[in-house]
Amino acid sequence: MFSFQSLVQKAQQFIEPTLSVASPSSDRRPTKASLFRHQFRLPDSQNPLQEITAELTLSPHHSTRGSGDSPEKERERPQGIHYVGKLHLSEQYLCFSTQASSFLNSASLSTSSAFTGQTHGAGPGGNGFTLPLCAIRRVERLHSQSYMFALAITTWHGFDNKSKSGEIGGPQKLTVQLAGSRQQCERFCDGLKKGLREGVKGTDNLRSVVNDCYSEYLIATDIENKDAGPGEQRDPPDTGLGTVFRYPGNARKLRDATKIRLWREYLKENGRNATLIRQPTFHKLIRVGLPNRLRSEIWELTSGSFFLRLQNPKLYTETLAKYSGQQSLAIDEIEKDLNRSLPEYPGFQSEEGIGRLRRVLTAYSWTNEEVGYCQAMNIVVAALLIYMSESQAFYLLSVLCDRLLPGYYSTTMYGTLLDQRVFESLVEKTMPILWDHLVKSDVQLSVVSLPWFLSLYINSMPLIFAFRVLDVFFLEGPKVLFQIGLAILRINGEDLLDAADDGTFISVLKTYFARLDESAHPRSENPKLRAVTRFQELMVVAFKEFAGITQNTISEQRSKHKDAVLENIENFAKRTSIRNLGPESKKLSLNDLGFLYDRFYGVLYERQQRAEIIQQEADRKAKAGKAKATEIVTGIPGNDVEMGRVALGPSPTQMDYEGFREFLAGLARWAVTDSPTSTQLNGHDSQSHSYFGGSMRSRSIQMSPWGSGPEPAEHEFMNRLFRRWDTNMHSSLSLQDVVTGFAQVKGTKDIMSNIAYFFDLYDDDGDGKVDREGILRISEALLFLSRRGIDSPATSSPAMQDLHVTDGPSRNEQFLSSVSAFIRRCFEYADPDHPVNQAGNPVEPQEKREEKGEEKKDEELADPDAFSIGDDDDDEDLLDLKDSPAPSTPKLTSNPSAQASQTLSKSLSPSSRAEKHAANVALDPNNPLHITLPTFRMVILADEILEQFFESDFSNSFRLADAPAPSSASSSSNLNTFANPTGRGSTAKPAIPIPGSGGVVPPGKGLRGMLDNIVSDGMRVAAEVKRRMDEAQKELDREAARHGGVGGDEDDEDDQEAEKERRSIREGDRDLLEGMETEDVESGKASAPTISNAQASQTEKTRSPSPTRDREDVVEFER
Amino acid sequence: MADSGATAPKPSSSVKLVLLGEAAVGKSSLVMRFVNNDFQENKEPTIGAAFLTQKCNLPTRTIKFEIWDTAGQERFASLAPMYYRNAQAALVVYDITKPTSLTKAQHWVAELQRQASPGIVIALVGNKADLASDDSPVTNDESDADAAGTTEGDEEVAESEENENANARKVPTKTAKGYADEESLLFFETSAKTGQNVAEVFTAIANAIPETSLKGPRGVGGNTNLGGSRPEDTSRVNLTGGQDPAGAKEGCAC
Ligand SMILES: Nc1nc2c(ncn2[C@@H]2O[C@H](COP(=O)(O)OP(=O)(O)OP(=O)(O)O)[C@@H](O)[C@H]2O)c(=O)[nH]1
Ligand SMILES: [Mg+2]
Repeated sequence: MFSFQSLVQKAQQFIEPTLSVASPSSDRRPTKASLFRHQFRLPDSQNPLQEITAELTLSPHHSTRGSGDSPEKERERPQGIHYVGKLHLSEQYLCFSTQASSFLNSASLSTSSAFTGQTHGAGPGGNGFTLPLCAIRRVERLHSQSYMFALAITTWHGFDNKSKSGEIGGPQKLTVQLAGSRQQCERFCDGLKKGLREGVKGTDNLRSVVNDCYSEYLIATDIENKDAGPGEQRDPPDTGLGTVFRYPGNARKLRDATKIRLWREYLKENGRNATLIRQPTFHKLIRVGLPNRLRSEIWELTSGSFFLRLQNPKLYTETLAKYSGQQSLAIDEIEKDLNRSLPEYPGFQSEEGIGRLRRVLTAYSWTNEEVGYCQAMNIVVAALLIYMSESQAFYLLSVLCDRLLPGYYSTTMYGTLLDQRVFESLVEKTMPILWDHLVKSDVQLSVVSLPWFLSLYINSMPLIFAFRVLDVFFLEGPKVLFQIGLAILRINGEDLLDAADDGTFISVLKTYFARLDESAHPRSENPKLRAVTRFQELMVVAFKEFAGITQNTISEQRSKHKDAVLENIENFAKRTSIRNLGPESKKLSLNDLGFLYDRFYGVLYERQQRAEIIQQEADRKAKAGKAKATEIVTGIPGNDVEMGRVALGPSPTQMDYEGFREFLAGLARWAVTDSPTSTQLNGHDSQSHSYFGGSMRSRSIQMSPWGSGPEPAEHEFMNRLFRRWDTNMHSSLSLQDVVTGFAQVKGTKDIMSNIAYFFDLYDDDGDGKVDREGILRISEALLFLSRRGIDSPATSSPAMQDLHVTDGPSRNEQFLSSVSAFIRRCFEYADPDHPVNQAGNPVEPQEKREEKGEEKKDEELADPDAFSIGDDDDDEDLLDLKDSPAPSTPKLTSNPSAQASQTLSKSLSPSSRAEKHAANVALDPNNPLHITLPTFRMVILADEILEQFFESDFSNSFRLADAPAPSSASSSSNLNTFANPTGRGSTAKPAIPIPGSGGVVPPGKGLRGMLDNIVSDGMRVAAEVKRRMDEAQKELDREAARHGGVGGDEDDEDDQEAEKERRSIREGDRDLLEGMETEDVESGKASAPTISNAQASQTEKTRSPSPTRDREDVVEFER
Repeated sequence: MADSGATAPKPSSSVKLVLLGEAAVGKSSLVMRFVNNDFQENKEPTIGAAFLTQKCNLPTRTIKFEIWDTAGQERFASLAPMYYRNAQAALVVYDITKPTSLTKAQHWVAELQRQASPGIVIALVGNKADLASDDSPVTNDESDADAAGTTEGDEEVAESEENENANARKVPTKTAKGYADEESLLFFETSAKTGQNVAEVFTAIANAIPETSLKGPRGVGGNTNLGGSRPEDTSRVNLTGGQDPAGAKEGCAC
């Protein structure tokens, strides 16, 4: 059965791709299955399997035809009453409704949602029945003249009654005649047969659930009385605290006895609880107010909580038992309010009442920990408990929270806020004059109406009237709350137009509520009119004048306002959360914090979405079995689809390492992988300042584990950063952790502390030393961080951009040599772990410092050809020659401190090379070594490129608010940039063989060996770099191939220069097409590209639609 | 319901005041004390918000407070902007026996400073001062503490409770006062139970509202008192009577 079910669901998704879970578009419509469940108030496990047009015939003694009961579909015939409608079959239910809705896959959405149309006094279920298959005793195929198939259905109660007393009430027998092709009918019957066989299993549940229904007692005692036999005295089922503490209101005035009598008649003829048939009288009897003792049962049936209970009758007691003795925040909150719930009702001044309230609220808080407990639930549940047993109230509360009041009690209360917005817009529509008045006098309507919705009018109206609203509410759904609210305003319209401030406004309504029992027309001549109470008037206005307010209206309005409301909540949450981040966060700008917040929760949200979607397939079965009704015709998309949205309640707050990588990939170019597993590029810009902004949401989430964002790289450095920021050692980061982490990295402009921070990252045991392995790892990290080019400070000044743009080409290469020099120096100046053994080579920091003067020569010496592309000065000359827009490097002009330290290093006296090499004995793996922070610092400061890296480049490599996150498109162009030097000769040399030893020198090789070692370390690094560049080149080629057509109209010259040029142009075109910055293109792809926000926005304005300009620039550069 | 004013026709203006603070710190109780001079042990939690009004007679003018008492449960926080919108004054309440409630109060202060109308007058109020035995609440007038100590009625209950839990105070006056000074907030420690300092808070706020930001009473029926079912009675109750000589002088003889 289950497999069949999921098959059906799959098929549905296939047919209605827009409804599939994978499309979280905000205006997602409910599925037909959910519409079906909603119409018949069925649990989530039910799906429409079969459907056929049919005529229901009730046997003649079904005489519940009131004088006014003559809807079109009901025709008097000799055999009884006939209803034409649709018969539906789900896994466990056989449902009939006269409302012509269809849930077949082939049906249009409007025929599926037809039941949301005007109710005309009928509930969403219309006339008909909702029969659990387990409540059907027998189905006989009748031989019929007019129809091919006629089924006589004997229900559980029909059977019972028959056996007990032959004629009273009579056996409940329904005849259903199927109208369809023979094939259709047979298919339906086969399905029914199968279902009935399965249904037998449910009989035990049914028996126990039905026993809690007052109707059983009512009919049984009735039969016993009629039989005049003493009978065994039945105990009435629990019908709430009212039996002990009295029901609110005067029973005589409420005409309770008359109501009971009418219901008894109705139930006798039309079945009860599980087997009840809804005829027009049913709806009428509800409208006039339910009798006290039948309230629980009818509420259960009309809300559908009965079917939840039937599905899992022990859930309530089991939940209580399971969590007995456990504590939670919700329980604390519940305890606080137990004494404060309907205190005017005597039952809640007693331990009995308080105990029941506590148990129901607690049990529910365990079954729905996301909601937990919300103030107002105490009032609603207290009200329910006056009429219902604990377990009945428990299931009804589930239906309330999940279906009838979606999101009302969630931790963000988005449902409440949304419906207030909806209510306001309905007032504006239906009562424009009043609305204008409210706006003019600055009265905020929701301030008044919010408690109406949140506690279902229970603490706004006198209880007896609030319960009558509830009677209709459970039958007809959430729209009732709106209709009543609108009617209240309409009736008080005159007075409200006189009220000019909140106070008067509220007091008008308070007075009105207090006088609901008075005559609506006290001065009328007509005694009948005089007898009409204000409450009756309210009902009439609500359901006649506002009959046009349907469930559809509400759903439409909800989806219309949803985004704005959720965004409001999210802005509020963001504001609050950022403000509460603590003093560390002050080091970052508010913009940056906002950006981090968005990115952080954006990544968490997207990850959860993806996980959800991937999981959903697997979970389908389990989910279907869950006894939880979800919101359906709410206009709020399924919880599972936008789950994790901050505004929708509890959302993840912790980021694991995978998430962290994804997070970084959106912030730093180096954190994007070089070799994406999926080459699919998404044209969308992942930048979105509100992370739930339209672009993010409408974008289809791809099934790649990284979604649509750039695929993150994986590097040991990222892991170190993660562990460093993970202050709680939970292997996950909170927003606080991330912000604190960034405050350390970006929040300080002090190079010394930046260096120390980096050093600490690699000082694993915290002893102030980084060993040989650590040194290599640091250099790997430096290369990793710089492999996409290093960014100069991203400023909004165009001049600065130009500076760095021209500065770029050489800097990448310079960085390589700097890193290689870094390794060499580290080993050179490292301290031996056991200085005693190294007596011959005393290494004092002071001495080491003195060697710095030789840095340039050392570089040349140490660097293999592959790296030597001239020293800094040459490079600068080169740049100057090129007549680039900005002649000097920013590191010199913008960094006085860099200059200072450079001077410092230059002023150090040179020392002999021999001595230095002697120090390199430390490289011997037999002589473990380490560097200390001062050494590390010195080595860094010895190199102006590294110095600048720590001064600003590293922290600038994270782009926060002032810069857009790099998209996948940009990453590919970065790769191109980096690969560009290939054509310039220096790095195009044959690859250097990679020594397997990776820096380990066999002992006894002497000075020469040590030198080799330095070189080979450099080569190891170089090889790594080379590998990356090759990959980048491949990527570039792939790109070029893919976009080949774009540049196809270029001159086709054969010489290499032209070829290169053409490619450049193509890249330019492509970048343009992909929305990349022209700036980078103009720089001939040779710069270390920066995508600062300033640039991006500038590009936005100046982006030239024609590629020619780029081309000129490129050509000029290449010349 | 009209209270054209038994007193001389002083200029009268209405001030929108909002109460914010963690659940169960006693916001509603403070309002109840101020408006009805009453205190209930079992007070229903506020759902959404409650609205009450109360007058405050200053020597030169009458201030009509339109009081929005909000719900304290965390999840109601997102509703708060609806209520503090256009508020000219705010009472941010914490419970001196619950340090977390001060943190929450600080969050609210920050929220107000950033989001509420500029120039909003904010008072930080440490409630349940009756539970502290150190007996050194910071007030504008030292005599208040003594006055509270010598009154009858509610006081007995407070006394016995004090004896039971020695000193329940967890938030030193200095801490809160220091913070309040830093942020230029009015600061009071009150007890809704004994009435200590309650009137002072409102009087101080009334005095702190800049004259320029005062508007006339709104609307024709703008003087409805919803504070209780007997607006006439309550509006005549002298809240400070007997308990509070300091308050009586310039205070809210409402
Ligand atoms: N001892 C003492 N108890 C107080 C005082 N003020 C309030 N309480 C008690 O604290 C509890 C909460 O008071 P409320 O006024 O309902 O608190 P609230 O801040 O309005 O709570 P919410 O409406 O849920 O936000 C009640 O039980 C009061 O009796 C006080 O000054 N002293
Ligand atoms: Mg309150």
